[in-house]
Amino acid sequence: MSYIPNYIIPDLLLLILPFLVIGSRLFVKDNSKIPWRIANIGLVLIFALLNFIPLAGGSRFFINNWNVSDFGILMREVLVLSAILGVWLSKDYFNHGGDGKPAMNQIAEFIGTIAFATFGGITVISACDLLTFFLGLEIATIPMYALTAWNKRDQLGSEAATKYILMGSVATAFELFGFSYLYGFAGTIRFDAIQTAASNPNPLLWIAILFLFCGIGFKLTLFPFYTWAPDVYEGAPTPVTAVLSVTSKATAIAFLVMLVYGPLAPVREQIAPLIALLAGVTLFVGNLGALKQSRLRRFMAYSSIAQAGYIMIALLGDSAMAKTAIIYYLFVYALSNYLAFFVFGIIGHHREESFDSLRGLSKQNVSLAVALAVAMFSLAGIPPLAGFFGKFHLFFSGASTGHYGIVVFAVLNNVLALYYYLQVIKSAWADEADEHLTPLRMTRRQRWVIVLLTVAVILIGILPFLSNNVFAGFTF
Amino acid sequence: MDTLLFNLIWLIPLFTVLVCAPIPGAKAKLIKGIHGVSATLVLLLVAYLTYRLYTLSGTPANEAAAPLLLQFFTDIPWIAALNAHYMVGADGLNMFLLLLTAVIVWAGVFVSWEIKGNQKVFFALIQMLATSVYGVFMSMDLVLFFVFYEMEALCMYLMIAGYGSGRKDYGGKKLTLTLAFGSSMILATLFGLYFESGIHSWSIMELSKITIPMDFQMWAFPLMFMGFAVSSSLFPFHFWSPDGHASAPTAVSMLAAGVMMKMGAYGCLRIAMFLMPEAAKIWLPWVVAFLIFNVVLGPFIALRHKDLKYITAYSSISHLGLIFLGLAAITPVGLRGAALQMISHGFLTGLFFATIGMIYERTHTRDITQMGGIMRKMPFLGVGFVIAGFAGLGLPGFSGFVAESTIFIGAFGQESTLTRIVTILAILSITTTAVYILQTANRMLHGNMPAKYETLTDGCFREKLIIVVLVACLLLIGIFPGWISNMLDQSIAPIFAKISAATAPVNGIGG
Repeated sequence: MSYIPNYIIPDLLLLILPFLVIGSRLFVKDNSKIPWRIANIGLVLIFALLNFIPLAGGSRFFINNWNVSDFGILMREVLVLSAILGVWLSKDYFNHGGDGKPAMNQIAEFIGTIAFATFGGITVISACDLLTFFLGLEIATIPMYALTAWNKRDQLGSEAATKYILMGSVATAFELFGFSYLYGFAGTIRFDAIQTAASNPNPLLWIAILFLFCGIGFKLTLFPFYTWAPDVYEGAPTPVTAVLSVTSKATAIAFLVMLVYGPLAPVREQIAPLIALLAGVTLFVGNLGALKQSRLRRFMAYSSIAQAGYIMIALLGDSAMAKTAIIYYLFVYALSNYLAFFVFGIIGHHREESFDSLRGLSKQNVSLAVALAVAMFSLAGIPPLAGFFGKFHLFFSGASTGHYGIVVFAVLNNVLALYYYLQVIKSAWADEADEHLTPLRMTRRQRWVIVLLTVAVILIGILPFLSNNVFAGFTF
Repeated sequence: MDTLLFNLIWLIPLFTVLVCAPIPGAKAKLIKGIHGVSATLVLLLVAYLTYRLYTLSGTPANEAAAPLLLQFFTDIPWIAALNAHYMVGADGLNMFLLLLTAVIVWAGVFVSWEIKGNQKVFFALIQMLATSVYGVFMSMDLVLFFVFYEMEALCMYLMIAGYGSGRKDYGGKKLTLTLAFGSSMILATLFGLYFESGIHSWSIMELSKITIPMDFQMWAFPLMFMGFAVSSSLFPFHFWSPDGHASAPTAVSMLAAGVMMKMGAYGCLRIAMFLMPEAAKIWLPWVVAFLIFNVVLGPFIALRHKDLKYITAYSSISHLGLIFLGLAAITPVGLRGAALQMISHGFLTGLFFATIGMIYERTHTRDITQMGGIMRKMPFLGVGFVIAGFAGLGLPGFSGFVAESTIFIGAFGQESTLTRIVTILAILSITTTAVYILQTANRMLHGNMPAKYETLTDGCFREKLIIVVLVACLLLIGIFPGWISNMLDQSIAPIFAKISAATAPVNGIGG
């Protein structure tokens, strides 16, 4: 290759990064800080570089097989941001464990695996054909299996990983089966060619769509394929749960966006009822499931199931609206979710990760209680926090094509959701403190990250220039 | 210049929170001082702007503000992807509501001076709540309106759960979730207004220039009206308010009953009825039927209660019912009465909850059967309570009389038999109001005094000042209602013109 265009550099860096991080282990000891520093510098550099790629370029095809679209660049930012926060969150779990589990080891491999999963997500959004698409999905998923079982001495983690692998493999099989039908229908694996063929749908296409939705339903935790999520979220180490809930969900939703506005664009009208139905049922069961939880991460699992349902509503709108809504939502969802996990992480370092551990938090550590309230209210979609604007975008997109039924259903469900988010806040604000709870200590990094995320969640929604600039030159 | 000052109304409270954020919580005196100064500043600012509006009244600031005769009009693009604008402006209607809010917030800040718990966070939350209420009354853009409208839920829950008394989590959740239920209905219909209107605008002014499709109006109006009615505790959505008030700290009760419950009625008038007048004409007679509960049964329930806050809450429910009676009559006098009642009841209930809070701080009970002889130890607070009660039952000289009589005249002007029957019932129910007010005052203030009350003291200067200011407001409206109703009339005229010009299709749906 004689010429490498600059928009491809972040992708290449991200491909090299995990090898660098893991490779550095050949030269340094396990407890060295060097791999962690390399990963930090690398990821932040990649994030910065992504911000320098000018938007408004539409699609840029690299060797005709790697599509760096505007949507793709913003999705990359979401994924890399999630990786950065995930790496920051995980650091303390290598020093002194959490949630009653021993400290993990092999931080270099851990971070490298997160970077691999991120690269998988990027492959999905850059794909131009079914083969790359499938590869990307697998590169994004397989590291997650490993990460789930990272704490080798933890039985619950191994159980979760086993469950996840079994379910995930079945999902992959469904996916592949759907792809094969899609290939059989169109006679090609190129997206643009499939799109042309889909203008004349026949039953083969419907079967393909059915299987594709089943397959991605597992990864996006859509009804009725969400059942693995609570167990895996509960069993995995906390930073892995956080990465899982953001990176893996973002990858899955990117996959759906690529399909619905790519190869399946001609039949989007016909599959809209399916999307609306999946969205409605998913957010309803997610909200119902979260009502009675007492463990924090199980609760976050159901909450993220419900969020998946909300995201699906955006897919009812047209391409520009849906992509804007989804990008915006994923950004604020990532920030709010990580904020919640950082707070839970600090709780978990000293106590059990359950609602009872939050009791009296507002009296012991008021800034942590404020951060928790901000995270929960943002996830619940209460203005002026970013989460509200995220949900507003989603509903806006859904309503733009006249799907008021699902929008009314979703906003009513939001009240249900508010109830269980309030349960968390109640533990921290209304309940009296237990005397025997261990006091909380924060490291300097944790304190700074929490301040940063809290400020971001408060300001991103109300300060217009942040989102306006991003979306001003956005072509879809 | 005035426009800039107008925008400061909601910015100052927010700015105060930011200023106080880095100050350590131990320096509570400094923090409280800053908040007190800020609340006083906003109050003076709003009073000045009300005066400015009085001198300018009746003229729109510019072409864009014309449909509502707005002054201090600002319109800046805000969120491009949503086509939302930062659009604020004032006419007589919302200016007086802003003034009411400023007074109640000022009183709320000073009434919570000795609150227990983390004072820094509490005062920050009061200011956030103030921001949200100011914002609701100022916004002329529906997205901006909704952002401010729902922001209240966040502050309310934290304040009740963190600083309330009794079943604070239960009361707080009930209040927050019911209000969220209401605002979710509003949100859904806002999307409909944006897309179904065909002009893709969130501006109240722009939307008022066109006729929204009738079949959309027919289902959207009841949804939106219901959403707003929830926060004004219209039957059958009144259940949150007694429990919510009972567990809330004094300042929150004052703000909730005094100001936030008016947001619903304001939204009904300014958004639901103004933008969907055709459907309003069809649906509002049904609302009148529901009002029988609020207006007639509310006082009877208050009669049965022993807890002061429950009594006041049910009294608020009946007074808010009168606002809706004025609205549902759709006569110019009725609408003016409704607007007057919003303002009058705000001061009135603020005074009620303030005195109750002050008495509770001393007696540590709100059960009137446990109290007695308070007048002997706390004459000032006792008189404040009695004044609030008398103003509430419509004693001439206080604002309640002006507002309620205007509503009754306006509602009787409506020719429908149902409205007239409800009006007559409402007038009769004042007797019931008198019974529970007098009974409560009698049991609490007179009779045998429990021995443990010997050591109690009357209100301090701070508390007396709050009561004096609130009573002054009640008297001011009661004795000089002319200037305020003139300004209200001017700003209600365009709304009434739009509603009376609307011709409801004969068949109901489809026109």
